[in-house]
Amino acid sequence: MENYARKLAMKIEKSALTQGLIRCHECGCLTRQTSHAVHCPLCDSPLHARIANSFQRTAALLLSSLSLYIPANIFPIMTVTQFGVGEPHTIAGGIIALIHSDMIPIAMLVLIASILVPLLKMLGLGLLLLCVYYRWQINARPWTVMYRIIAFVGRWSMLDIFMISILVSLVDLGGVAQIIAGPAATAFAAVVVLTMFAAKSFDPRLIWDIQQ
Amino acid sequence: MSKIELEACAECDLLLNPALPEMGEKAHCPRCGNLLQRPRKQSIERTFALSIAGLILIFPANLLPLVGIKILGNTKDGNLWSGVAALFQENMWGVAILVFLASILFPLLNIILSLLISAHLYFNKPNAHLARWMRWLQHLDEWAMLEVYTLGIIVACVKLASIAELKFDFGLYAFIALLIITGMLSSSLDEYLFWKQIGELRQKVGHED
Ligand SMILES: [Zn+2]
Ligand SMILES: [Zn+2]
Repeated sequence: MENYARKLAMKIEKSALTQGLIRCHECGCLTRQTSHAVHCPLCDSPLHARIANSFQRTAALLLSSLSLYIPANIFPIMTVTQFGVGEPHTIAGGIIALIHSDMIPIAMLVLIASILVPLLKMLGLGLLLLCVYYRWQINARPWTVMYRIIAFVGRWSMLDIFMISILVSLVDLGGVAQIIAGPAATAFAAVVVLTMFAAKSFDPRLIWDIQQ
Repeated sequence: MSKIELEACAECDLLLNPALPEMGEKAHCPRCGNLLQRPRKQSIERTFALSIAGLILIFPANLLPLVGIKILGNTKDGNLWSGVAALFQENMWGVAILVFLASILFPLLNIILSLLISAHLYFNKPNAHLARWMRWLQHLDEWAMLEVYTLGIIVACVKLASIAELKFDFGLYAFIALLIITGMLSSSLDEYLFWKQIGELRQKVGHED
């Protein structure tokens, strides 16, 4: 972190931090960087020029979500029982079932929300981390836009979880017809939450800080 | 301490002169394109009114059945809580808590906090907790997922349509109305203005002391 501070002091571009100003991440007001200014004068939240340990926290959250993504896709996310015969469905299996019953638009929707969004999100966060770690000299604007999209779309992956909660509560007729949530539901829910936290703990200003 | 008459972009930290956009305009960061400010007409009044409407609607949306199904003569209704309860019974407590937070508790807190803050600003009443409430509201916002839940209802209904008879109950209409109200609520809330007003109220208290 100290490395950053020194690097920034040499830059000509006027970011708030190079001018000795800290932007409160809660209310946005600027405070002069002094040894005693540790709380925002407007909202009392602790002042950090950049999100504290942003790189390490994002990397840790990303790696945990990546490892949970595997069980989320291997294990059944729900089991559909009809007339005593149980049939486990994985995330991909649910999409294939939708395609077989000719519900292509809904299948696309689930495909995007449950598979593409988490995957692309983890890939994008990984790229952002690599960019910061190796100090890639890039056009920072599209990278910031990518970050913004990642932070925005994450919550839509909860679609599958909500759908399962509704199916589980409605289809409950014992041996005749029943839907039970599977272990992958917990893993997938954890993936969604962890990637949302990962996006939140990444500080896009780090991309701008490393550009010379 | 002298007041700093500058701003910084939240996403690239570029130091800026305050943009002061007109009503209906949007101010973007010239360097990274981040939306800085979007002034709203009568933001405080609208937020106040919409959060009251939301608070009224949240009761029927939570308590009345949303969808009912009929399979082989057996009928079953479901509301927002029954999904959570069913997951709990299957010992999926992690998922159950997440669904409870995202579809019930956080939307409720979102509306209550919006109501508290906008009421204080509307009546010009200082409160020591205003800044804290505003911070909570900003953090809660992305975890209240009524619109995603709506999509979940649609997908679940499509899946069930082939095996069961579906029936849409009054709760669903209340739920959709609540969804529209919360959407309008978050777009009417001008965070820049709210923080400015909270700061001014705080200064007012400081001068009275
Ligand atoms: Zn602050
Ligand atoms: Zn910017």
